[in-house]
Amino acid sequence: MIRALRALSFRVAALFRNDGDFSAELDSHLQHHIDDNIRAGMTPEAAHREAVLALGGVMQTRERYRDRRRLPIVDTLRQDIVYAVRLLRKSPAFTLTAVATLALGIGANTAIFSVVNAVLLRPLPYRDADRLVMIFATNTQTGASTDVSSYPDYVDWSKADSFESMTAFATRNVTVSSGSEADYVLALRVASTAFDTYRIQPAIGRGFRADEQQPGRSHVVILSDGYWKSRFGGAPDVLGETLRVNEEPYAIIGVMPAGVHINAAAPEEIYVPLVVDPSRTHGFLRVVGRLRPGVTLSRAQAEMRVITDRLAKAYPKSNATIGANAMSLVDATAVNVRTGLFVLLGVVALVLLIACTNVASLMLARGTARRRELSVRAALGADRARIVRQLLTESLLLAGVGGIVGLAVGTWMARALALGLAANLHRAIPRVETTGVDGWVLGFTILISLATGIVFGLAPAFSAVSPDLNATLRDDSRSTTSHRSPRLQRALVVVETALALILLAGAGVLLKSLWTLGSVSRGFESDHVLAVDLWLPQPRFAKLSDRARFFGETLTHLRNTPGVRSAGFVADLPLNGGSDGLGFRIVGRPDPKPGSMFNAGFNIASDDYFSAMRIPVRQGRAFTAADRGDAPGAIVINETAARRFWPNESPLGRQISLPIASEEPDEHSRDTNDASSLATLTVIGVVADVRDISLATAARPEIYLNSMQARLPWPWLVLAVHTIGDPGTLTNTVRNIVHNADPNVPMVKFSTMDQIVSRSMAEPRVYTILLAVFAAVALTLAAVGLYGLVSFTVSQRTHELGIRVALGAARGEILRLVLGDGLRLAAIGAVVGLAGAWACTRVLRTLVHSVEPNDPLAFASVIVLLLAVALIATWLPARRAAQVDPVVALRTD
Amino acid sequence: MTDDKTDVWQGTLALMILKTLETLGSLHGYGIARRIEQTSANHLIVNYGTLYPALLKLEQEGYIASEWGISENNRKAKFYRLTRAGKKQVERETREWERTTEILARFLAPRRQA
Repeated sequence: MIRALRALSFRVAALFRNDGDFSAELDSHLQHHIDDNIRAGMTPEAAHREAVLALGGVMQTRERYRDRRRLPIVDTLRQDIVYAVRLLRKSPAFTLTAVATLALGIGANTAIFSVVNAVLLRPLPYRDADRLVMIFATNTQTGASTDVSSYPDYVDWSKADSFESMTAFATRNVTVSSGSEADYVLALRVASTAFDTYRIQPAIGRGFRADEQQPGRSHVVILSDGYWKSRFGGAPDVLGETLRVNEEPYAIIGVMPAGVHINAAAPEEIYVPLVVDPSRTHGFLRVVGRLRPGVTLSRAQAEMRVITDRLAKAYPKSNATIGANAMSLVDATAVNVRTGLFVLLGVVALVLLIACTNVASLMLARGTARRRELSVRAALGADRARIVRQLLTESLLLAGVGGIVGLAVGTWMARALALGLAANLHRAIPRVETTGVDGWVLGFTILISLATGIVFGLAPAFSAVSPDLNATLRDDSRSTTSHRSPRLQRALVVVETALALILLAGAGVLLKSLWTLGSVSRGFESDHVLAVDLWLPQPRFAKLSDRARFFGETLTHLRNTPGVRSAGFVADLPLNGGSDGLGFRIVGRPDPKPGSMFNAGFNIASDDYFSAMRIPVRQGRAFTAADRGDAPGAIVINETAARRFWPNESPLGRQISLPIASEEPDEHSRDTNDASSLATLTVIGVVADVRDISLATAARPEIYLNSMQARLPWPWLVLAVHTIGDPGTLTNTVRNIVHNADPNVPMVKFSTMDQIVSRSMAEPRVYTILLAVFAAVALTLAAVGLYGLVSFTVSQRTHELGIRVALGAARGEILRLVLGDGLRLAAIGAVVGLAGAWACTRVLRTLVHSVEPNDPLAFASVIVLLLAVALIATWLPARRAAQVDPVVALRTD
Repeated sequence: MTDDKTDVWQGTLALMILKTLETLGSLHGYGIARRIEQTSANHLIVNYGTLYPALLKLEQEGYIASEWGISENNRKAKFYRLTRAGKKQVERETREWERTTEILARFLAPRRQA
């Protein structure tokens, strides 16, 4: 064994040296022999001849010596490559087609993998990040599996033995001012353990102490590097300075280092302590734990189950249906896009498979044309393995070139894809902006290129050597027995067509759902509406009278502004995920079940909101200026609420009572269990349903409170302005009016309602576009494959077709013959693909909820499309076949 | 590649080379070939061409070593000699060969056992 290794190392080393030494040794050998021969009495010529003969030929000896000295396999490989390069250069059309096809397939895979790598595979930028786990709350009642949890639950969870540290955080938008102007920034409310759990430390100052989570001691703030640099110019002496957060003074105690943030969706700008919150029903926290070394995720999950079971028994009112779901932090931060990315990965894998099939069938066609060459080589003594190796070298070379081009194409596509995803999806994809080529992407591309070369090279290689090659030499190429293309090639075309149909069906189903979304009845008009997101700083606007004054002043000014038709405030715009559900009672009717209440989404709107959005009033009236703070509480409900709660009767004049903790500045007041008083409200009107959650989701029962009366302090609001002209031109006017009404109200975002509608379709649109592009690529490849096959068959059958024409076959018959042959393959492929599509399109439902998996209309249209393309692909060569001149055809060899 | 017959040959050829070098010490390729022919009383005709790959293999395996020198004819020649590993290998291979021939001899013995 060691001897063999030693020999091998010599041989490998010898690859890089020439063997001049041996020539000298051979010379010496011959000289000695000649000396002997002459001594024995031969003439010099005879002596030389005899010596060479005894040696068995100088060249042969040298060859044999070299085989032993080096590794012959490497030498033949070198020969094969040189030969393959020469061959590929000789047929540029074939080479170009094959390389382009492969580059497309490999490039698409590289692109998607780059994104997957950046989002899901690269470790997070924390120390020992693989031990970080996010623990979601689950709720068996609502089916939620990635929910937020309450503070007491977090405290109980953090006693779990599997974790060495656990922390919790929540984001909140706050106003921050250090001088006159107020910023609106994303704050992270975070438990003091975060620094240990994430293993991060402030670059300046210190992290939070546990006691700073107590109310009254929590007015300390840590700045992110970005905020520190933009607001304080990176001044090192910020520690101890005061920042007004939501108009309360906070002392700066630290600055985080650059590039560190905790919130995946949007980087936080400041950190404040998470204040202890005793309510078990108030879920608002994301919980992250650091596993002890050696503890597996499943063990941690098991322990969490024990803990949540115990909590469910101890606090049945709040925790009966609450469980925990531990997920690695990498997966958890990308939980929304994981399925999408994996589906895309599957899609591009299919595209690559089609590319492989296509190139394989091209190679097969060429292999048939090369049979003579291969036969000659076999006859000259090349063994089968050698020929297979030669053909595999060719395909690997093609794949290699395709891989290099594919890497370039893929890098470009990855960048475009990352930009496109980041710009179009309003649900942020964490880390998508870091997409790029690294060692993993490179390795992946090399791997798939190799695999590709082997996959599409094997079939042609073996089919080239399978039947007796000697027969080919004898065989006349005019053979009429094999007038059909090889079975393998036909099978490949069927496979290709089937795969293409699967992708087409996916794209078709998505397109159909996108079209359905676009034409759905939304319940409002989106044109000519400017939507301004506002934030009402809490202590200042805690009282209804302050809010009402601001609303009144703003709306009065707007109504008197030229170019404005109407304007109104609303808490939750349509398509925005819907309003929070609240429990309520219907006056004069028992609760649906003892201990539970009726439930509906509660929104807040001002008087002209419905006319600004052109939401039709079906019964009664909308709010008017008369519905003031001291007038009886008025509500407007949507049609679904009317049908649900007052079936078979008019809801007008009916009353509900709503538990409201009045005038409490904290958002916990929306928690019905903390109810302290009941407000009685009267239904004054019914408006049309609007798609409040998303375009794809039907409206839920929704109840609109009157913004002039509602004692729910709602800090975030949208001002909707219906304009006469282009809504964008009024941006500055509206900004000034709001600023004049109250300079401390930050305006977070200006958008038009059209933009919001378009954004709400962004996700389905992005997936649809991607899938449609890949499906188009697949269809093109399949068409090229079919075209190639039929052309090839026609050229092989020219002789036979000529005889048919000579014997009186009509052109139409020939056309039908060839067309029928090609279309039959396409049809078989379509049927096989249909079965695949049946199984696959339901996966898309996880991406776009409104997808109807087996939509017959979508399926029918893609089949028609596929067959139409197949018809074109077959028609071209078929026409050529029909125009065959029998005289010429019979003469062709 | 070489065909089957030569492979078999090479097995025995290696032993012949090693044994020749053991007897004669240092020798060049042509000398080894000649010596083998003479030892076999010219029953074997060595194809000299096959000798060199065999020598190379033995050298790669470390059983023999080579260096350039001047032959008795006053010509430059590459001389081969046994290494320490080579000496052990001769013993081992000799033993194995003897065992093989002994076994074969039993098969070929004229007397059949009852």
